[in-house]
Amino acid sequence: MKILDKAKLSQFLEGLKPKYEVIAPLHEGKDILFGRLDSTKLAIDFVGKTRLSPKEYLFPQREVLFTFEENKKVEIKAYLDETKRVIWGIRPCDLHGIKILNMVYFSDYIDPYYQARSTNTLLLGLNCNEAEASCFCSSLGTGPFAREGFDLLFTDLGDTFLVEIGSKAGEMLIEEANLFIEAAEKDKEKAKMLESKSKQSFANQIDIKKVEGKLPDVLDNPLWAEEADKCFLCGACNFVCPACHCFNIEDIKVGQRTERVRYWDSCQLGGFTQMAAYNSRTAQVERLRQRIYHKFSYIPDRYNGQLGCTGCGRCIDVCLGEIDIAQILRKVANE
Amino acid sequence: MKRILTTCEFCGCGCNFYLGVEDNRVVAIYPSVSHPVSQGRLCIKGWQGHEYIHSSERLTTPLIKEKDGFREASWDETYRVIADKFNQIRSQYGNDSIAVLSSAKCTNEENYLMQKFARACLGTNNVDHCARLCHASTVVGLAATLGSGAMTNSINEIEGADVIFIIGSNTTEQHPLIANRIIRAIERGAEVIVADPRKTQLAKLCSLHLMHKPGSDVALLNGMMSVIISEGLEDKEFIAERTEGFEGLKKAVADCTLERSSEIAGVPVESIIEAARIYAESKKSIIVYSMGITQHSTGVDNVMSCANLAMLTGNVGKEFTGVDPLRGQNNVQGACDMGALPNVFPGYQSVTDEKLRAKFEKAWGVNLPSQSGLTVVEMLSSVLEGKIKTMYIMGENPMVSDPDLNHVEECLKALDFLTVQDIFLTETASLADVVLPGVSFAEKDGTFTSTERRIQRVRKAIEPLGNSKPDWKIITDLSSRLGYTMEYDSPAEIMTEVVELTPIYGGISYERLEGEGLQWPCPTPDHPGTPYLHKGSFSRGLGKFSPVSYKPPMELPDVDYPFILTTGRISFHFHTGTMTRKDWALDRECPKGYVEVNSEDAKELGIRDGQMAKVISQRGEINLPLRSVDTIRRGVVFIPFHFAEAAANRLTAANLDPVAKIPEYKVCACRLERG
Repeated sequence: MKILDKAKLSQFLEGLKPKYEVIAPLHEGKDILFGRLDSTKLAIDFVGKTRLSPKEYLFPQREVLFTFEENKKVEIKAYLDETKRVIWGIRPCDLHGIKILNMVYFSDYIDPYYQARSTNTLLLGLNCNEAEASCFCSSLGTGPFAREGFDLLFTDLGDTFLVEIGSKAGEMLIEEANLFIEAAEKDKEKAKMLESKSKQSFANQIDIKKVEGKLPDVLDNPLWAEEADKCFLCGACNFVCPACHCFNIEDIKVGQRTERVRYWDSCQLGGFTQMAAYNSRTAQVERLRQRIYHKFSYIPDRYNGQLGCTGCGRCIDVCLGEIDIAQILRKVANE
Repeated sequence: MKRILTTCEFCGCGCNFYLGVEDNRVVAIYPSVSHPVSQGRLCIKGWQGHEYIHSSERLTTPLIKEKDGFREASWDETYRVIADKFNQIRSQYGNDSIAVLSSAKCTNEENYLMQKFARACLGTNNVDHCARLCHASTVVGLAATLGSGAMTNSINEIEGADVIFIIGSNTTEQHPLIANRIIRAIERGAEVIVADPRKTQLAKLCSLHLMHKPGSDVALLNGMMSVIISEGLEDKEFIAERTEGFEGLKKAVADCTLERSSEIAGVPVESIIEAARIYAESKKSIIVYSMGITQHSTGVDNVMSCANLAMLTGNVGKEFTGVDPLRGQNNVQGACDMGALPNVFPGYQSVTDEKLRAKFEKAWGVNLPSQSGLTVVEMLSSVLEGKIKTMYIMGENPMVSDPDLNHVEECLKALDFLTVQDIFLTETASLADVVLPGVSFAEKDGTFTSTERRIQRVRKAIEPLGNSKPDWKIITDLSSRLGYTMEYDSPAEIMTEVVELTPIYGGISYERLEGEGLQWPCPTPDHPGTPYLHKGSFSRGLGKFSPVSYKPPMELPDVDYPFILTTGRISFHFHTGTMTRKDWALDRECPKGYVEVNSEDAKELGIRDGQMAKVISQRGEINLPLRSVDTIRRGVVFIPFHFAEAAANRLTAANLDPVAKIPEYKVCACRLERG
């Protein structure tokens, strides 16, 4: 465990720039968005989460896979993003999201595009000292303090950051920076105190064991239809989810060239999986229910009990129909 | 990646988001969390609807039509061709032989220039735009009763209302961020009443749904008012202090018995009574309406009835009360504000008022025409009468959007010369002699004014594609070619001129618009803007009750055409589909048109769900798949109008409201056969 003066954070991150593209939460107007580091905009003390997680640096909203030209010898040019990248300020929920992405994209089939980005990216986490209203990671064990999935993990102690080392590569960053000092016992104690205080700030509580126990029996419960009636079919719950990983592929004409592009997709839309002939879930109630079962039943079944939900609550914050996944889970638990 | 904060180009909610740009290409979207309306949310069009910007079908160079089709041309040649033609037609037939359509998709600055171009450069008031087709009746009806033809509330107030009466608005699909506030209100315990011939999403979630017949709105509203008056639920103090003409209303309403209302509207008496009580007994009631009210031959009557109901119960002019017409296009409010209308200068200043005209003559340095010009539908009809010889259409697609398309096509083809400025070769542009390539909202600076009168910045994120030019630049170039010099370095400079001439925009500047924008009226640089209208007194002084009696739609079902056809939009597409149908995600959700029919009616017709149906009206016929549903009133069929190849407007009639000249898109008669 190390200590970094808060005042030296931007110096540390700036120091990485010669070797890395540095991504961090930045103040854009009155909003906070992840972007390429501009120290004058660095958001150090932000509470809660950015609207989009930094997952797009591993799995972009729109990614050109390759291009080809028709009417002559077909020439294919593939694009792999091998930019050396460091992302600072990743919340524990978002680290869990990346863990899910890794499990999916490195499972039966290794996705070369994801792999190129993933293997060149260092993840610098930032623990949460305070929950927002929609947050429920503490109920899922995915936060508010991270346990794994990071190269370095920062905890805001006030004037300093406590920094936990998660990998050799993370350790190298610290050594090369020469800005960190050894943490004292009192720093670690303070972090523990902050963690328990943070856990107490969660208004949103879910008994996840109970949910998992009840799910097999509530497939035909009327609650799904009640929730589905509120859906606007916007897809936002998927777009903002740090763990959602589905995409669609389209050929886009650009003059003489054609780009084969993959875009974020949403399982809440009727057109989802149409490339496989059709979407078998024709009614919204089936699609909404699938989202919950996928995250809390099918992904855990397939990937060693890991939840496909991070507990970040972003899908609650963006829902035009005020569909609240935490409420749904509580309803399931109380069935 | 660069990120540029801007205002959404689709509906009137006015959401803000950041466009993520790499190598002059929009590659990502980030909703703005700090924005008062979006609050970090977007609908599917906001998230997924911007791929059209880079479509390979974008127009990137001017086109001139030759015998065998269009050829690419230089800007210089194209301007010369247009200028020569305009000059020739003007000298031969006079200034009023030219008509101009401005665009609710373009910025305030561009709309300002377009009407200035028509009036000062061409010398005609023949300038209008698609507001004629959506809320012309609001502009007239609310101006007559309240004094201002705009939404009285702010969007966020809706969330705080105790009762929301939605009539003729499928808010979920057309104004998703406003529907979000309504759902939040429901969760807070507010009562929502929906009057709609279709069981919309909000009709499913509300406390009372009145599935009235299309075109029966005045009867329904008069019925509610008769209950309110007979039960003494009116706000006597408000009526006495803030309104005039109550006795007239009382009499008109007394003529309309509850039984008759019920019969005309096809709604049980008890439901009308219940709706009236719920609405009147609350002191925080808001009326939300949209095209279900306005797009009728009685559109102005319908709008005035809504205003009457609000004044009767004192539910206007205070926070969480009001009358809220929801404007459909990103900048239809602004295009009206900027005077892209045949009878008013910017800021609703009448062209027939000598003093006001003198002000504009002085500012623009020319004599201006003193008679009101022609409206959209009148312009087209005048072509066949030989009065209009040439049209200049910017960012509109009447070949899909206007009623009775076979007639529209005949009119456009009869023009001596047609100029179309657009970003795609639309159905209308294909008929043009000259096509000017404008740009999308991502390629220019300017402002849009949302449905809650919020003036907001549009910011340039990418360079214009190919050889296209920002629309404001094209207008100034063309005007200068025609001998009326317009010189502006930037849209900000245009806004400075707008501000000088438009009292309701008097306090606006680009600096002040940073952040959340400003809601007009904002008359002075230190004025904070106006969240809700008519506080203390109405824009016209006293609110004026305008009693109306029920008049049936101009075309009703009969033996040959037994169904009522009503048309509208769906959430995945926008208007004539020129943008949204080029977007893979939106196109995938709904690639083609359909006719929605009640399942009982479908059964009687012998047409199954998914089978092709032929829909026939007196004006035309189209083929499209039938959707059998339980969510539409029997005897009524619905067709979304986005799809040119199965255009609902081949069937609709150009039956106009006598004052607002809005066509009756919501009612015409049709029959269905197996397709």
